[in-house]
Amino acid sequence: MECFWTWCCDVLRNPTWFYLLTTVAKLVLVFAVILAFVVLSVWIERRVAGWIQDRPGPNRAGLPLFLLKPFGSKKAQPLSGLLHFFGCPPDGCIARLCRWLRLDREIPTFGLMQPCLDGGKLFLKQEITPSYVRKFYFILAPMLVLGPPLVAAAVVPFASEVSTPFGNISMCVANLNIGLLWVFAVSGLSVYGLTLAGWSSNSKYPFLGGLRATAQLISYEVAMGLSVIPLLMVFGTLNLQDIVHTQATDGWTLLPFWGQGLTLQRWVLWIPMALSFLMFATCIFAEANRTPFDMAECETDLVGGYHTEYSSMKFASFFMGEYAAMVIGSAMVVTLFLGGWSIGFGADEALAAWNEWVAVLCQFVMFLLKLLAFIFFFVWVRWTLPRFRWDQVMKLCWLVFVELAVFNIILTAAILYFVK
Amino acid sequence: MNPAVQAILFYVFAFGALLSALGVVALRNPVSCALSLASCLAFVAAVFFGAGATFLGIAQLIIYAGAILVLILFIVMMLNVKDEHPAAGNWLYCVLGVLAAGVLAGTLSSAALRLPGSTGGRCPVHVLLEHADDLCPVQGSAQAQQPQTTAPTEYGGMLPPISMRDGESDVSLLGKNLFTHYNLSIVVLSFALLAGAVGAVAVGRKLRRD
Repeated sequence: MECFWTWCCDVLRNPTWFYLLTTVAKLVLVFAVILAFVVLSVWIERRVAGWIQDRPGPNRAGLPLFLLKPFGSKKAQPLSGLLHFFGCPPDGCIARLCRWLRLDREIPTFGLMQPCLDGGKLFLKQEITPSYVRKFYFILAPMLVLGPPLVAAAVVPFASEVSTPFGNISMCVANLNIGLLWVFAVSGLSVYGLTLAGWSSNSKYPFLGGLRATAQLISYEVAMGLSVIPLLMVFGTLNLQDIVHTQATDGWTLLPFWGQGLTLQRWVLWIPMALSFLMFATCIFAEANRTPFDMAECETDLVGGYHTEYSSMKFASFFMGEYAAMVIGSAMVVTLFLGGWSIGFGADEALAAWNEWVAVLCQFVMFLLKLLAFIFFFVWVRWTLPRFRWDQVMKLCWLVFVELAVFNIILTAAILYFVK
Repeated sequence: MNPAVQAILFYVFAFGALLSALGVVALRNPVSCALSLASCLAFVAAVFFGAGATFLGIAQLIIYAGAILVLILFIVMMLNVKDEHPAAGNWLYCVLGVLAAGVLAGTLSSAALRLPGSTGGRCPVHVLLEHADDLCPVQGSAQAQQPQTTAPTEYGGMLPPISMRDGESDVSLLGKNLFTHYNLSIVVLSFALLAGAVGAVAVGRKLRRD
């Protein structure tokens, strides 16, 4: 045991091995978080949809108690045993409440089992590859949709640094100096997947869906890139970890309530920042192909859009790609505008001074909470706004957003120069 | 990074770039050609990353692979071009093609032969990495004071030395240079591009008949 421990220390003391091991650990964590969030956001989507449309939504898929049958008959099942243990009458108020919550039939998961069961269903469905498709590209397209969001996640910081006896660990997989551009570059590549899916299906509606997706994604990439320039002018760096550090000490971009954030300049800068936030969030909606911008898979005029001909897991990977893009988009909005992992009000530094690991853990939880909140916002918008018309989408991008973004850049420059 | 790892990665990515460049010429289906061009550009971007020019690599990915090639793909798909068949042998085209290829090959091989150290039978990339400090106009803070001895006169004289502070990214370096040394050229160039864009709109605009 002693020998093994010293061997571990020796391995970790080698900087290359230390770097490799910590990177792999962070990679696995980020990957797991994204895939878990894909499942979670499907659940949030359906529950919030149910809530908004005044219906229950999927709340019935729990862990059924008949799985516990080997442990006893229905009489001796957990609920009645538990009621008896606490001395509650079997038809009293508490018992009826428990029955209403279906506690006598299943372990409640509030429908969280539904996405897992959906995944299982899609996995077991028959895989149909139509005879007329261009096979190589037909198989390549879902991979190209699912891959880029997972790669883009590499630069998103999910906590600050910790120092260990072997070296410092920065809590993001790759702390690149051009982190923001990396996200743009890689998520821009996912347009290939949609285009090729539409083309390789060799059928009219998917093709139209692919064309729409291409035009929309390319246009909104331009607006998205222009809309964050004011932010970069304020922060002066492209490194996402540095951006979040600045926000942790000097106030989040949209909530500058502490540190340097209380100066006049920052409060005047709030106007272009809010404009930037509105544009960036809208562009993220368009980039993730979500309602009100889901022109590419608009059922009323395109059957199913680019994924009409897909079935089983290939279809599922399109959806996983869409939700992963939504998660990464939310992570970008949270990182740039809502302070990323920072807890706020100077709590980060105080916690880090007390115990770095606790600070990192709290920051990670904070980041996930913010992410969940923004995903909720995504879903809320989807079930509230109707779908735009195609020409409206294009007009919004080229005639409103691009001009507004350029104006916003000039406004920010003027504020930075004149207001001290 | 370890120079050996760097050299190996360079050869892997360069081989990928060459292979996909070959695909652009050899594949029959125009969509496959466009996609091989995209993968070629991505490999070249990876080579840029390996050489430390991160911004150049990212720009390559965003602009060429992410936007321009998608537009090319879009157009190729819209036109619904059928598989291309090799044209019946027109000898003039053959002669011209061989001539152009020969000139290009000669230029490339002469450049490769002039690489420092390539005659000694050593890996040219390795030698280039050793001499990188002499060749690069961007100097570390320690070297910024020393005058550059070997000015590449055949490329229009010595470039102004640029001092790079520690921890500064190449993005800010590039920005500073573009807006100080090359400011005038950038403004002129952007006006030329603007004129081009306006011209394209004017040419592509539908004229009303009424």
